[in-house]
Amino acid sequence: MTLTLYVEDAQDRGGAGTPLLQAKALTKHFPLGGGAVVRAVDGVDFSVLKGETLGVVGESGCGKSTTARVVMQLIPQDKGELLFDGEAVGTRALSLKDYRRQAQMVFQDSYASLNPRLTIEDSVAFGPTVHGVPKAAAIERARELLAKVGLDPARFAARYPHELSGGQRQRVNIARALALGPRLVILDEAVSALDKSVEAQVLNLLADLREEFGLTYVFISHDLNVVRFISDRVMVMYLGEVVEIGPVEDLYDDPRHPYTRALLSAMPSMDPDNRTMEAPLAGDPPNPINPPEGCRFHPRCPHAQTVCAKVKPALVATSDAEGARRVACHMEIAGSGHSRAPALESAA
Amino acid sequence: MLSYLARRIVYMLPVALGVSLFCFLLVHIAPGDPLTSVLPPDASQAMQDELRKIYGFDRPLPVQFGLWLWNALQGNLGTSIASGRPVAGEVWRAVGNTLMIASLATVIGFLFGSFFGFVAGYFRGSLLDKFASMLAVLGVSVPHYWLGMVMVIVFSVQLGWLPPGGAGPGGSAAWKWDWEHVSHMLLPAITMSVIPMGIIARTVRALVADILNQEFVPALRAKGLMDFGVFRHVVKNAAPTALAVMGLQLGYLLGGSILIETVFSWPGTGFLLGNAIFQRDLPLLQGTILVLAMFFVGLNVIVDILQGVLDPRVRRR
Amino acid sequence: MTAVTGLDVPKTAVAVPPLLKSPGYWSGVWRRFKRDKVAVAAGIVVLLIVLMAIFADYLAPADPTRSSMLRRLRPIGTPGYPLGADELGRDMLSRLIYGARLSLFMGVAPVFIAFVFGSVIGIAAGFFGGRFNTVVMRTVDVFYAFPSVLLAIALSGALGAGIFNSILSLTIVFIPQIARIAESVTTQVRSADYVEAARASGAGSGTIIKVHVLGNVLGPIFVYATSLISVSMILASGLSFLGLGTKPPTPEWGLMLNTLRTAIYVQPWVAALPGVAIFITSISFNLLSDGLRSAMDVKG
Repeated sequence: MTLTLYVEDAQDRGGAGTPLLQAKALTKHFPLGGGAVVRAVDGVDFSVLKGETLGVVGESGCGKSTTARVVMQLIPQDKGELLFDGEAVGTRALSLKDYRRQAQMVFQDSYASLNPRLTIEDSVAFGPTVHGVPKAAAIERARELLAKVGLDPARFAARYPHELSGGQRQRVNIARALALGPRLVILDEAVSALDKSVEAQVLNLLADLREEFGLTYVFISHDLNVVRFISDRVMVMYLGEVVEIGPVEDLYDDPRHPYTRALLSAMPSMDPDNRTMEAPLAGDPPNPINPPEGCRFHPRCPHAQTVCAKVKPALVATSDAEGARRVACHMEIAGSGHSRAPALESAA
Repeated sequence: MLSYLARRIVYMLPVALGVSLFCFLLVHIAPGDPLTSVLPPDASQAMQDELRKIYGFDRPLPVQFGLWLWNALQGNLGTSIASGRPVAGEVWRAVGNTLMIASLATVIGFLFGSFFGFVAGYFRGSLLDKFASMLAVLGVSVPHYWLGMVMVIVFSVQLGWLPPGGAGPGGSAAWKWDWEHVSHMLLPAITMSVIPMGIIARTVRALVADILNQEFVPALRAKGLMDFGVFRHVVKNAAPTALAVMGLQLGYLLGGSILIETVFSWPGTGFLLGNAIFQRDLPLLQGTILVLAMFFVGLNVIVDILQGVLDPRVRRR
Repeated sequence: MTAVTGLDVPKTAVAVPPLLKSPGYWSGVWRRFKRDKVAVAAGIVVLLIVLMAIFADYLAPADPTRSSMLRRLRPIGTPGYPLGADELGRDMLSRLIYGARLSLFMGVAPVFIAFVFGSVIGIAAGFFGGRFNTVVMRTVDVFYAFPSVLLAIALSGALGAGIFNSILSLTIVFIPQIARIAESVTTQVRSADYVEAARASGAGSGTIIKVHVLGNVLGPIFVYATSLISVSMILASGLSFLGLGTKPPTPEWGLMLNTLRTAIYVQPWVAALPGVAIFITSISFNLLSDGLRSAMDVKG
């Protein structure tokens, strides 16, 4: 039997053209003692279309997880707007509680995400009970979802988290995220802690669920292969900013931003005849407390020039006619002053 | 490092203020007029008012507090109602006496406690461990004033080896470091040492077991470090916390000595405190508690600083 | 894909076979506890003492307050006085049995009350954090700055003698200690992922506390509280020993030690008996508490 999972009042309010999620200039800084500030997320702009999967990649400290938490409103943003299906989150148009029925998150640590004192089915049923579903109905729903994610309810529903393996727990977390019938699911390194074979199974599960329920995913990971497998579009972050965003195959085949290029070429090659030889990234790993002026990547960039240290490059569409790709690099911005920038044209 | 020191001291100030406020308020939460202990029962109203003015009880509370605190900071803790002598002097003398047995007790407790704790932790799970742990639990569970009584029964009444109480012939004023006098110290100190011994034993046992469990120990052994080297390593890692606990125990003993000093009639702060309570000698009560509490607060700060010196991880907090 | 109601009860229920039930957390604790022989023995002793206190009327051979000037300070084994007679000629055995009532009560009551108040304060401070936490915990620190004995005596001394005042002082001594543990544990739990996930599901603070925090927090706090019982007993009887607690002629172990103090020269072993009772009870509670902590220590 099929289980349809949409929230009834969330019929496509915005229509097919409206992105499901729009982040505009999201900013979140964390003050440390003594005036220093961690600029975890700085002016991040992106959107996620309905039914697509946006992969988010970057090194540790680049702000991926903070962005995820801001999108889930677990941390409120300092500046910037968050629009869900065209409505601003947290306003009268869309209350926080209603938003939370439609957007859910799966965390990295499968064990820490589950209350060790609750049975699996209780954990999964918790969300619906918060929104008014009677306990018995919530439990039934929980059991069906467990079956959906591949865990036989007869064997697992009354168990405790510590009795399950990592992969099984992550399936539970996925079931829990789906319990509220969301439209958007954010997966923050959801498969990173699993063994490779288990990871493959869970990824396939995620793909199947997406298909069946028409979900939209934001998939955060540091594993570029996994991101390639599951995403439609990819967003690359560096030091709290978006440096490149575009369709997955295009981006992987032809990375435009020097950082993206470095990331991709740093992937160990799967082909023994084509081994990766050098480590392309030079310089120190970044510190989000005192990010460099201008383009934040310029200290490590092999193509850096004076303009890069002075002016921050905006995230603009590339000059070829696609428009789907945006890059924040002076080499792509016409008339930026970089020697490799395309020339300014008077008309399109 | 200096900032850590400064932070610790600054942190202590509001606590110290709170503590002194509490000591001050103690007198006023006592049921009845604070004046009753001072007044002769047939005092006239005029006399009451007069005395009230002398003691400052007619002023508003915050003012009283301010004055009392100001005086205290200058070393003037008022005059004892019972003896008529300045409180500060009495307390000072008593503190010295208590420190004598408390220090001895802490040292004994630390030595034996560490020994038992170490043995228990090192040979974890063995019979030795069970035995040492049992001793530790015994130490912590025994009512120490009763233990004092038992010690007196055994060593004074039955065996006659040690005196049952007091501070020696001539009292504490005529103290000399000879057997006649020191023999009076032994029973109280040993009795006092039992609880710290138990606590230190338990703490050290947990520390040692923890350290030995950590992964760098097999690494050390793999490097070829002989057992003595590992032993030294464990000591180095356990020392800061163990010393901190010892310092705190000294503080507890100083503050909590009243029961044992009552049993042994040892003229220390506890004894003084007991008298103050029974004679409703409020200035003496206030002054003694204030000094003891401040000692404890100060000791805490010193222990914190010492930990910062010995264990660099603490400083970063 | 069409949007349909999602949060309603599904129309066709899945027939689920009987569930494989796993033993819950507490049955696991009980199982581990049973294996610890020392803890079980201690538990039995505590139970016996409690029963003795409850059924004192049936167990005591004589009236604990009946004194006899002729039969003062008789040794153990005197006919009619199995454990001797005290300084007023009263039967020690009966007084010890009846004394269990007050001594136990004064040990357990302050801890229990402090558990309730301390937990509320600590959990609130830990959960809500921020400035509220700072204010509350600093205030707690002020009380923590006193050694417990000193605080108990200072409070008792100020309030005056009597059972009620003693219990009040001891409760005030223990509340900060429990509040501290409560705050520490709650802060840990609060930052756990599952609490964040609960928030992400739209749950409010009250629901989160009830469902997720309490279950994980009360256990450790409770274990800590049980370790305070023996301290409370010793302090309470200590207060009586100083004359600040129970008043004569009520039988209570600490008070008995006080009145028998001078008797140590005449009948030392009789004089020491009440302390033995305190000692045994205190050790048993401690071992019980230790056993409980070990049993609860394992994950899940």
